[in-house]
Amino acid sequence: MTISENLFENLRLELRRGCLTLAVLAQLRQEFYGYTLRKALAERGLEIDESTLYPLLRRLEAQGLLLSEWREEDKRNKRFYRLSKDGEQIFDQLLEEWTAINAAIQAILDRDASQNEAEQVASSRAAGEAGESTTITAQ
Amino acid sequence: MEPLDRYLQSVKKHLPWQRQEDIVAELRANLESQLEDREAALGRPLTPAEAEAWIKSLGSPLEMAAPYQPQQYLIGPAVFPTYRQVLKLACTWGLIIYCISTAVQLMAASVPSADELVWAFLRLPMVLIQIAAWCTLVFAAFEFAVAHRYVDVSKLGPFCHNWPPVGLPPLDVAGGAPGGKKPRSFAQAVAEAVFAFLGLVWLLLLPRHHWLIFGPGAAYLDNSPYRLSPLLVSFYWCVIAVNVVQIGLHIENLWHGRWQRASGWQRIVRQVLALVPLVPVFAIPGHAFILLKHPAEDAARLGPTLDAFNDGVYKFVLFISAITVLQLLWTLGRTGMNAYRRRVAA
Repeated sequence: MTISENLFENLRLELRRGCLTLAVLAQLRQEFYGYTLRKALAERGLEIDESTLYPLLRRLEAQGLLLSEWREEDKRNKRFYRLSKDGEQIFDQLLEEWTAINAAIQAILDRDASQNEAEQVASSRAAGEAGESTTITAQ
Repeated sequence: MEPLDRYLQSVKKHLPWQRQEDIVAELRANLESQLEDREAALGRPLTPAEAEAWIKSLGSPLEMAAPYQPQQYLIGPAVFPTYRQVLKLACTWGLIIYCISTAVQLMAASVPSADELVWAFLRLPMVLIQIAAWCTLVFAAFEFAVAHRYVDVSKLGPFCHNWPPVGLPPLDVAGGAPGGKKPRSFAQAVAEAVFAFLGLVWLLLLPRHHWLIFGPGAAYLDNSPYRLSPLLVSFYWCVIAVNVVQIGLHIENLWHGRWQRASGWQRIVRQVLALVPLVPVFAIPGHAFILLKHPAEDAARLGPTLDAFNDGVYKFVLFISAITVLQLLWTLGRTGMNAYRRRVAA
């Protein structure tokens, strides 16, 4: 892996880390056990490794954001998770924060795009005027 | 399925012992569900090669177990900057104190042997390692206390959220002295040059007017049985020469408008010059700085006292020389480091 690839990978992981927590909290407004939660997230376009998701669930539960329960399903004991009361509150706050960050980044990108567009229009107009004056001079 | 059982057994060994069973049971349920889905999609059980590939895709047992461990730091990111600062200070002061104490010990041995000097040098890394180890141990204990909430880091001086901005050091002024010190004013620079000149005049008058240094005691010294070693004349002229160079530097700075701050090379030159007069002092045979006027008559009575006095003077000069050399090394190091930083920043 080159230095730039390594750097990108580190930054990507950093960016994903917070988003994954938000996505898991969002998904666990409905009850899931580990594997079905992973599948549900993957179906919505968010692939998460087993070694990331399952410890994350434990951590969020230890922080009081999730509740868990062992229950038998399809002749197998499984640990089901769902959002706790505190989890719901924190999730709402995080969602608000994430929406604000998203909106801010979008606004920055939109402004840059409109500036680029204006610069392009100005330069093409200048090029057009220069072409006209050359034609007039030639005539 | 045997590969999965073996995999989970290996994962279990790396899990926190209090939650091993619970975590492995959950992992088993999740992974078996995943396996069932795969086999259902294929319509047959996995072949040994497919099973191995699937297990491999889960990551090594250590990789799977590591995120279940509580996050632990010997010294965490909140405490680390302070640790680094304290470590640097402790090692620097440890080095200085070690050098001075070793120099004093060696002086006590009157003529240190080459072996003693080599051992003193070889002991230095071990001393520094011990200082670093103690610092690390103290900060690791502090980190432990913070992590286990015995100490609220947000209420402590350097970490306090309510820190006073008024305590920040003053701004480095361009052209000002380093460390935010007030730059030297023109009047101050002129006064320094004038006093250096008066000091030179005072030194030049000393050989003929002893009272300028000894006051009324000069009359007693003239009649005392002691006299200065004639070899100290070289020391005297070295001091005169150094003072002349110092005055030259003062005038040069005033002439070129550089009085606000002494340049790095000038600081080095001044410290090297301070060592020059010490050379003839060390060259005096037997460290006999003070002699008897009539050795044949007074040697038996005053000789031992005089020897002890001369030895004391020699050790004092040695001590001063050690400090001056350390100062010079420190200045050289700082000047070199600043030059390197400027080059890297450019």
